[in-house]
Amino acid sequence: MKKGIILTFIIGAVLTGCKDDFLEIVPETSLSSATFFTKEADFQQAVNGAYAPLRSIVNDRAWLLGELHSDNAYYNRNPLFGATEQEEDLADFAVPAANGVTSNVHVLNQYRLDYQIIARTNQILASIDNVEFKAESKNNIKGQALFLRAYAYFELARYFGSVPLHLTPVANRQEAALPLSQEEEVYAQIIQDASEAIPLLPPKSQQEAGRVTSGAARTLLANVYIVQKRWSEAEALLKEVVSSNEYDLMPDYADAFSNNASNKNNIESVFEVQFMEGAAGLNGNFLYRFLPRPMSVEEVVAITGTSNPQPLDIQGYNIPTPDLIAAYEEGDEREEATIAYTTISGSARQNKVFPYIKKYAKTHSLHNNHGINWPVYRYSEVLLFLAEALAQQGKSGEAETYLNIVRNRAGLDDYSGGNLLEGIYHERRVELAFENKRWFDLVRTGRAVDVITAYGERIKANPQDYYYPEGAAPRPHVFNNISLYYALPADEAALSPHF
Amino acid sequence: MKNYLLEKVRYLFILHLLFLSVTSALAQGVTVQGKVTDEGGAVLPGVTVVLKGTSIAAPTGADGVYSINVPDGSGTLIFSYIGFQNKEVPINNRSTVNVQLGADAKALEEVVVVGYGSQLKKEVTGAVQTISTKEIKDIPVSQVTQKVQGRVAGVQINQTTGKPGQGMSVRIRGQLSVTGGSDPLYVVDGFPITGSIGAINPDEIQEITILKDAASTSLYGSRAANGVVLITTKKGAAGQTNVSFSAFAGVQQVPERGRIDMMDAVEFAQFKKEYYEDAGQPVPEIFQDPSQYEGKNNDWYDALLRTAPIRSYNLTVTSNKDKLNTALVAGIFDQEGVVLNNEYKRYSARLNSDYEVSDKIRIGLNVAPSYVFDNTPRTDGDRGTGILFNALHTWPIMPIYDENGELTMFNRFPANTGNIYAYPNWVRSANELVNETETINLLSNAYIQYKPIDGLVLKSTFNVETMNSKFMFFNPSTATSSINTPIPTTAVSVRDNLQTFTWLNENLATYSKSFDEHSFELLGGFTNQQFRFDRTRLQADTYADDRLPTVQGAININRGGTYSGVEEWSLTSFLSRLTYNYKGKYLFSAAVRSDGSSRFGENNRWGIFPSASIGWVVSDEDFLHDIEQISFAKIRASYGVTGNNNIGNYTQYALVNNTVNAVFGDNIAPGAAVVSLANNNLGWETTKQFDFGLDLGLFNDRIQFMYDFYKKTTTNLLYSVQVPQESGFSNFNDNIGEIDFWGHEFALSTRNIEGKLLWTTNANISFNRNKVIALADGIDRVYGTFHITQVGQPFGQFYGLIDDGLYMNEEDLNSSPQVPGRSTVGSIKLRDVNGDGIITYGGDNDDRSIIGNPFPKFTYGIVNNFQYGKFDLSIVGSGSYGNQLLVRHLYSTANLDGVFNMVDDVKYRFRSEENPGKGVFGTTVGGGNVTGIERDWMSSHFIADASYFTIKNITIGYTLGAISKFIKSARVYTSIQQAWVFTNYWGGPNPETSAQGDGNGNGGNLSQGIDFSNYPVPRTFTLGANLNF
Repeated sequence: MKKGIILTFIIGAVLTGCKDDFLEIVPETSLSSATFFTKEADFQQAVNGAYAPLRSIVNDRAWLLGELHSDNAYYNRNPLFGATEQEEDLADFAVPAANGVTSNVHVLNQYRLDYQIIARTNQILASIDNVEFKAESKNNIKGQALFLRAYAYFELARYFGSVPLHLTPVANRQEAALPLSQEEEVYAQIIQDASEAIPLLPPKSQQEAGRVTSGAARTLLANVYIVQKRWSEAEALLKEVVSSNEYDLMPDYADAFSNNASNKNNIESVFEVQFMEGAAGLNGNFLYRFLPRPMSVEEVVAITGTSNPQPLDIQGYNIPTPDLIAAYEEGDEREEATIAYTTISGSARQNKVFPYIKKYAKTHSLHNNHGINWPVYRYSEVLLFLAEALAQQGKSGEAETYLNIVRNRAGLDDYSGGNLLEGIYHERRVELAFENKRWFDLVRTGRAVDVITAYGERIKANPQDYYYPEGAAPRPHVFNNISLYYALPADEAALSPHF
Repeated sequence: MKNYLLEKVRYLFILHLLFLSVTSALAQGVTVQGKVTDEGGAVLPGVTVVLKGTSIAAPTGADGVYSINVPDGSGTLIFSYIGFQNKEVPINNRSTVNVQLGADAKALEEVVVVGYGSQLKKEVTGAVQTISTKEIKDIPVSQVTQKVQGRVAGVQINQTTGKPGQGMSVRIRGQLSVTGGSDPLYVVDGFPITGSIGAINPDEIQEITILKDAASTSLYGSRAANGVVLITTKKGAAGQTNVSFSAFAGVQQVPERGRIDMMDAVEFAQFKKEYYEDAGQPVPEIFQDPSQYEGKNNDWYDALLRTAPIRSYNLTVTSNKDKLNTALVAGIFDQEGVVLNNEYKRYSARLNSDYEVSDKIRIGLNVAPSYVFDNTPRTDGDRGTGILFNALHTWPIMPIYDENGELTMFNRFPANTGNIYAYPNWVRSANELVNETETINLLSNAYIQYKPIDGLVLKSTFNVETMNSKFMFFNPSTATSSINTPIPTTAVSVRDNLQTFTWLNENLATYSKSFDEHSFELLGGFTNQQFRFDRTRLQADTYADDRLPTVQGAININRGGTYSGVEEWSLTSFLSRLTYNYKGKYLFSAAVRSDGSSRFGENNRWGIFPSASIGWVVSDEDFLHDIEQISFAKIRASYGVTGNNNIGNYTQYALVNNTVNAVFGDNIAPGAAVVSLANNNLGWETTKQFDFGLDLGLFNDRIQFMYDFYKKTTTNLLYSVQVPQESGFSNFNDNIGEIDFWGHEFALSTRNIEGKLLWTTNANISFNRNKVIALADGIDRVYGTFHITQVGQPFGQFYGLIDDGLYMNEEDLNSSPQVPGRSTVGSIKLRDVNGDGIITYGGDNDDRSIIGNPFPKFTYGIVNNFQYGKFDLSIVGSGSYGNQLLVRHLYSTANLDGVFNMVDDVKYRFRSEENPGKGVFGTTVGGGNVTGIERDWMSSHFIADASYFTIKNITIGYTLGAISKFIKSARVYTSIQQAWVFTNYWGGPNPETSAQGDGNGNGGNLSQGIDFSNYPVPRTFTLGANLNF
């Protein structure tokens, strides 16, 4: 009998093997963090992954928060449709904000995307020094990660002011929420990260096209200093960019912008977000968001040139305002390069001619899928930053030199007369239109409330000039919330004990 | 079908001849024959007649007559039949022995299969209910879970969709989990299966035992919290060889009643005309004269439906002779769906064998292969994804057929008509899309059993389950299932091959002993189980030619949709149980299982699941003995701990996604990112359950009654806790919270009339309740899109604003709270719950509150069986009371912007103070700013009472008795399945439906009770026959 028992149990034991191993099963087809950050290639992939949210930021969110939310752009209201409040509220300065939080979905997603970059770069920065590999490569990866973290925090600081400051990877539920850090602390971190990134990063000529460079990091840091009105520090950095000989203006303003598959990362480009047309999910479609609607197939294909055009419904956004169009001086070549006109027969408005953004309207092959890059920093902005930093320090002559380089390229004469700073601001508006600079410029120069209030009055007085069809009027609560910061996202507030 | 049946009969005739020749070759000695009847004189077919002390046996036929060959006339015959007392009759050299069997007062002597063994029903101390498949054999459906609908107290079974072979939701004692699975554990012949119970041919099943309380389930440890369903497959009855063949065939159709009443073409055009007139806008030409659509209606929903056949054939051969017991069941089930191009076929076989090698050693092997073919159009789901929903709201002025009688490709009117979506032809979607799955399952159990000494049984089992499934999807360029995809579209193909392999080894020792009046049984054992899942998926698109949907024929291989994957888990367990009773009336049992699982975090790898139960057979006490009315009474109580390990594999690890790619210049750069947080403490969900039960038999068990009260507390629910995304992550997998469940279950079984007319009734009713006691730290509520789960409230309640009708006039508007800038005369009037004077949806001034409950107040079932002579009638009903559904399709089918076709009642919307309609649907004037409140804000506008009582099945049968020399008995029957639904539910044809989530993959169990107008459950008319040879 004993034999029987023993036999039975031995069979069982043999069949099942050693117990501890038996219960230890790690995923076979996905990587886990414990085994991931162990070699150079891992960090290379991780830093690539940290760039990825930028596509979504510039394609889906930043233009809503930085351009549509200004006097440069509006939307062509189609009263037949609803469910467009999220976008309209941004254009109409009517973003709901109760108790310091907002339900606006674009604000929420911009916030989350920035923190995605931050979390990914934190993972890299926390573990890269524990792994031995070539210093050159390691520095480059660290520099990129620092730049991206600084850039993400810079966006957050400008949108929200005080935000949680995560600098190490979150390891458990308790660490997920941090208290809000004061805006100054956030800026201090941005300056530290960007400053550290500069020496680690190679110049543009030695970096893979499309990645951030020492020039991009200097421009970013200079931008931060300009926001902080630290003019001389900005001047020094910008002069390093100018004297690096890595950059120049394209002879023709229209050529400063990427095509669908060419002219990317050209000599004028300091940093642009990279897209690629195709089914791999690396494409953009912002051009389609910027077309006035409803558009018939024929009207769409005339602009996009695709092989499979589809009609576009509802309403279009980032439609250039009459204010912006009027801002171009006589003879400014940039007007024609920035704004074109199209007739949309399906519009309910009597005047069926609408302006649209031309600088991104590049032909491509697939409907709603293009590879046009998005400019973040161009050399012309470096020059305008430098002009502004100099002008603020009273160095008007030198400032005008840089300002005029930009003006002359646009077919305009040298700047003359008037308030030089106003001149620079105006130049920024037309040079950088639809590059998500306008709202930030209005805020940092203290003009936001005045400019937007007046703009709102004009829309309410003449809605048809702002693309409302006859009989339709702005909603009653438009322009009731012209605040310099966005309220923090309500969905995040609901999860965080700190705000 | 008739011809086919005849053909079958002919085959069986030949088969039977073979058997006959074998048996006659063995015949010798003398023949004894006779007739077996019950006390009322009715013949008893299927009675086992055994010569005492031998294995010589014979059954009675349909006429109650048996014939047995015995060596001589000196022996004693034993007559046994379930539900009757065994009777021993000496032959005394007679050649005719007629016998009358008395009904068994001790029907409770029945043996019940329980976890890891069996017990006398009388001595069971847990909450257990058994269903013999005899009771359910005529129900013409494909899945065993459909057959038991309405029959078990405490088990809510809903048919959430009419798709053949799919959609059964089984919840034992209302158990639910936030994110873990809530399905019970199915154990087939001792093997907890990982595949679908739906793939098992119900005809293979002998008996189903449902284990409800923790004492019955705790031996299944970390998988037992949702309850356990034990399936025992067929075996031969002692001493007999039986050959039987059963078949049914029928037609299914969707009843008119219950369908959603939509506008026809004229009504729709009239609506659109009025829409533009009311808005003061020019009426587009196509709507100016609605009467032009007279007789030109296009009912897109109806166009997708058809009358469809259903067929089933089963051959069962069982034999239990000498030392070999075998059962063979072979079945074909073939059901076409009532939606075009929908088919479900199952070919299955099972061979069960036991062999007694010696007095001490037994071996056995069960092998059950099956093949399932399923092609299901993409019928179900939210707008845009489910073609039934899509068809429902497609404009009825859009032609299904063009002027040449061909199916149109797609329909789209100019933008100024308000037609914002392109509508593909849904008939093409159903017919041309390929969405088929072929599955091959193999389920097998093998064991060796050794009895070294009396009372000790050692048993090792080795079980294997494999599943191979091949999924093929092809969307040609001419059709699509999603809205707003113009045709021609991009052709897409998906091939998805899955393979699962599970093995289980169990080693058990059972020792049982009785001395004096003590009996005990001790069980100990250890088990190991391992599971592996392999998957290869290929997705390709952009075909030059729809006729060649190969991968190499595609221009593009879709990287996102193409992948391979492996998942594995393993489980090691130790188990033991002690069962003890004194005099068979004081009962005690205690059990414990410890499970180690690869799914749990490394700090929390082992779980222990104990239970104990007691019982007292009060009727065996002297003080009840004299009360004749009480034939049986037992009180029982149990307490135990079980777990739910349905928390997914690798959930405890922080995973890295290495497809977060970037672009630099013209190059794609592979990117990676950590996408989840690790939790080394992750473990199972724990359920502690107390049960109190009472079993009562009255008037010689003519009335049997069972009552159970239970109280369960589930803690450590696996939940993907939302974390602030400032962390870079959205969720953290954690064990959180506490939910209480409690309920009462009543089951009553009565023999109402006995005699020539026999009438029996089985009825049950269950009250299940739950309440959330705690969620995660600092979280007292979890919002779904339409639901809330809040501490102190039942789980997953509907959450929204309260619909108070419409603002009927200017005065009403001005004196009521409004949505600032949006409310107008004639728009929906919502209640200002927080009293701040304005209506707010979400945020800090939220006016939402709990507006409905997807869980019923009670569920019930009733089965009536009648027998009169050779006729029998069975009526099965099942119902649910007090639950609500969210009529989700209304956001399209009552979209006042005229974008879609609408429910008929929108005709009676508010148009002006003078023409206010029925006060349900508001004004169309003002566009989305006004209509959006009614449409986009969750409110009680969308909530409907979904109480129902459904006559699930009516069967009328006639027993023919022996109709030929070879057919010993035959029975023919006709049945109606899903005969009639009594309900006030207005949201769609199926009040049992319950889609989960918001249609975008969010929500899961937290968001139950949503009606997207899924596949309707058809009414089925069948004719069937059972033949015994």
